[in-house]
Amino acid sequence: MMGNLLEHMGIERDRLHFSWISSAEATKFVDVVKEISDKVRALDTDKKLAKDYTK
Amino acid sequence: MDTCIEKIRTICADLLAKGEVQKVIGFAEGSIPMASRPIAVTSKDDVEKLVFNATCGLNLANYVSEALPKDGKIAVTAKGCDSRNLVTHMVENQVSRDRLYIIGIPCTGMVDKRKIAALFEDEITDFIEEGDTLTIVSPQKKEKVSKTDVLRHNCRMCTHRNPVVFDVMAAEPVEEQSLDQPFADVDQIAAMDPETRWAHFQELTKNCIRCYACRNACPLCYCPTCFVDESSPQWVGKGQDKTDINTFHFLRAFHCAGRCTDCGACVEVCPMGINVRDFTRKLNKDALELFGWEAGLDMEKRPPLDVYSPDDPDDFIK
Amino acid sequence: MNFITIDKKDWAGGIDKSRKTYRVFGPVQDENGCQLKPLAPDVYPLMDAGVTVMSPKSVLFPQTEKMLTATLDESSEDHHIMKPVEKDNTPRVVLGIRPYDARAIQMVKLNFDNPDYQDPYWCEAYDATTFVGLGINRPDSCDFSTSAGTGPFSEEGLDVLMADLDDRYLAKILTEKGETWAEACGFDTSADAAESQALFDILRKEAEKNITASVDTDRLSEKSILDLYEAPFWDDVAFSCINCGTCTFVCPTCWCFDIQDETKHKTATRFRNWDTCMSPLFTHHASGHNPRGSKVQRVRQRFMHKLKYFVDKYDQGIMCVGCGRCVASCPVNIDIREVCKTMNNYEKE
Repeated sequence: MMGNLLEHMGIERDRLHFSWISSAEATKFVDVVKEISDKVRALDTDKKLAKDYTK
Repeated sequence: MDTCIEKIRTICADLLAKGEVQKVIGFAEGSIPMASRPIAVTSKDDVEKLVFNATCGLNLANYVSEALPKDGKIAVTAKGCDSRNLVTHMVENQVSRDRLYIIGIPCTGMVDKRKIAALFEDEITDFIEEGDTLTIVSPQKKEKVSKTDVLRHNCRMCTHRNPVVFDVMAAEPVEEQSLDQPFADVDQIAAMDPETRWAHFQELTKNCIRCYACRNACPLCYCPTCFVDESSPQWVGKGQDKTDINTFHFLRAFHCAGRCTDCGACVEVCPMGINVRDFTRKLNKDALELFGWEAGLDMEKRPPLDVYSPDDPDDFIK
Repeated sequence: MNFITIDKKDWAGGIDKSRKTYRVFGPVQDENGCQLKPLAPDVYPLMDAGVTVMSPKSVLFPQTEKMLTATLDESSEDHHIMKPVEKDNTPRVVLGIRPYDARAIQMVKLNFDNPDYQDPYWCEAYDATTFVGLGINRPDSCDFSTSAGTGPFSEEGLDVLMADLDDRYLAKILTEKGETWAEACGFDTSADAAESQALFDILRKEAEKNITASVDTDRLSEKSILDLYEAPFWDDVAFSCINCGTCTFVCPTCWCFDIQDETKHKTATRFRNWDTCMSPLFTHHASGHNPRGSKVQRVRQRFMHKLKYFVDKYDQGIMCVGCGRCVASCPVNIDIREVCKTMNNYEKE
């Protein structure tokens, strides 16, 4: 539902990720973080919710 | 709706005289036209102060926890939406049923004060309600309008006008509305492309002064310290930066997911006229479509975001 | 004191001329009623509009104001040294400010510009600003300015006071700043002083007669602070309050602010925001203790400050100009006029 609301506001759903990772699953953690970072980086041009301190 | 006030006063006088409740939470006449004021009445001699009319747009469930004495009961007058928020309070263990005496008021809707003000160029100096007819007076003109035409949007969209829980009813139940398109407003936004949707929400919140009236008028917002008020760590900046304003509105709304009864108090109180329901309405639509859930109807069921079900429509946990 | 007449046909042209030297502020209509805003080059002030939802205090004291910045880049010589930010203090003019709002700015001045302390941000903005007021011919029903020590044609704090005479404005130039503004607009048709003053007096009396709301303040100063503080009525006053702080934000005299630091990457910014005594954070100590932890204490603070502490400290009447904004905007209808009456009439039993 959170993803839906973000999307409804015009923010890409891929910026939000939920995962279940046990403390024993280090490799899974790394993989998931990589995947998320790649996805978010691909959206990078968009700074909708990033604060602009130059103003 | 005026007719039920005599019954409300009789019930309250009786409850207070017998000592069954320590106080009654209701509405009093406002000091300016089109205003009403939440009030706690503790003596039967004061029940005449109680009123009920189409300007009683706040949600009295918001006042219950704070007004509750150490022991004993309080009475609260409740419209359909107020009663649903009382149920939500009970489901979330904020108040127990046996501490409350609920005086149910079947409701035919509250007026949109901004919509009425927009009909006039000058200020409104008198507001008289007789059934569905509203007589509104300004220095320049006097106009009669039908209440139905100036209802708040959430009242037009309301399908639970009658209280869902009560000890006594102040009037006969009213007919419930059935809607062809219960979420036309949400669909309209959803039909826009992402950039237009973003622009819509930017335009919506551009006048926000961060008074948090929307949060404070909401019965759902009872956290001892709200995330925006947290100072260590400070999650959200406190200035007028639009990122902080967006963050506040988005997260405030999300905290109402699966809990919002669309009572409209948030919009009613906004001094800047922001329709913050544009956020929560999307959540209400999703709660209904994904979980078949409408908040505050059932004291026995847990809210959808409170439980995990193997057939959860989302696949995010992999 | 000189008077000029301004034909309404020349009004827009005059404003345009003044835009060369002034940033022009004025009332405009938006989706939420009337607001005072900086005007874009093709926008003219809505002079006959109602009272603005927000007060003009933001012209000198914005809700969020950047004060200092520093770089955190340690390769830079001046890293971590806070430096003032550049401000646009070119002359600005506020057109159509209500006379009581100009009086309110003089009250705020007590806080920002006094012998002990001069706030550079506020003072520089104040020095750069010319206030051109418009007398109120038809006061609102919430207006109780005459009993709050000002009025619909009050001159205090104004550089120019104008009166709307249908086809023209009659303007009374009150200060040098006012004169400079009139020159910049090219308004130079002088009017007979005695006649004009007589006209102003008539308009003022007419307008004052139309003010129906009032507050009694005559006995506030003789009351004991502790008696009022401990009075039993505060629970009833505060019951409906949701502590939103709308009253303090719309108030032209509320001056409290909170200073915040934010950092991002290699930049630190210090800025101030309006604060509100309605918020629990207002007095929240670093220790976690909050001396005003409950709603009723906060509501009492607001009214005691405006109607008692200020009265005693400054001997200038109440810290309220009677604009009625808080009465109109309060979502739960807490009415300062009623509270003032209750306080003024309170006798300890």
